[in-house]
Amino acid sequence: MRALIPLTIAAAGLAFVSASPAEATGAIKCKAGPQSGWKTQAALKAKLVKEGWTVRKSKVDGGCYEVYGTTPEGDRVEAYFHPVSLEKLYVARRGEVLFRKEGY
Amino acid sequence: MRTILNKKPTFWLLLALPALLLELAWWQGRIDTMDMIHPTGEWSARLMIIAMMLGPMAALLGRRPWLDWLLARRRAFGVAAFGYAVLHLIFYLIDMGNLDDILAEWMAPGIWTGWAAMLLMLPIALTSNDGAMRALRAGWKRVQRLVYPTALLTLLHWFWVHNSYAAALVHFAPLIIIWTLVLIKKSIKTPMKAGV
Repeated sequence: MRALIPLTIAAAGLAFVSASPAEATGAIKCKAGPQSGWKTQAALKAKLVKEGWTVRKSKVDGGCYEVYGTTPEGDRVEAYFHPVSLEKLYVARRGEVLFRKEGY
Repeated sequence: MRTILNKKPTFWLLLALPALLLELAWWQGRIDTMDMIHPTGEWSARLMIIAMMLGPMAALLGRRPWLDWLLARRRAFGVAAFGYAVLHLIFYLIDMGNLDDILAEWMAPGIWTGWAAMLLMLPIALTSNDGAMRALRAGWKRVQRLVYPTALLTLLHWFWVHNSYAAALVHFAPLIIIWTLVLIKKSIKTPMKAGV
């Protein structure tokens, strides 16, 4: 017991320090094949802007395109799109899921 | 060298270092405003958790020089945690940019918990000085105990805003483990007596 306490503290400390900042929320996975078959982020952005979105930032996350922006309805969200079909798969506002396509 | 390291301002500088580096990167455009929110919040939680672990650690290990050294700086950890929470809020506000968007999402589980944690931190931080300690006497401890609901709200805020548990749990695990160990130690020291 006496040795257990400092050991546990040390282990916990190690886990604490090595915790990587979780930038990728990994809300969903796309499994869309090799990136050579993907449409570009610029194409997605153009499509979204046409639909009335405001796109603040986009990146790849979980094999999908992840977009931070405002929907045509005016909701500020984080949304995932399929990189090949550009189909909307998941929309969340601060972690609160507003839309999730069936199967994702 | 030792005396410089042991000076309070040196320690404050050390606690401010992550903020200074983050702000520099933001100023130079290497980090987006949006991406400043997560690390500032994470540092706030880290420092709060460290401040909360020192008491239970002393209860477990007894007096140790390094623990005394840290305990003498517990208030600095707490105030720094508040400082990072303020930065977290500032970058959130800059990123949102307008009141409508802020009001539209305040009731999201991941957001109101953050606001509530911030509000609870306020009296703790405002009373983290010798003057308030003297003025409030026994009430001071009660104010500081607001850190427990604050920690719970912070954990929930982290859970919900990211819709994932891993990172939040990794950070809070040390605190949960140490509380468990303190409980175990207490139960060993005072074994339950039958038929009291």
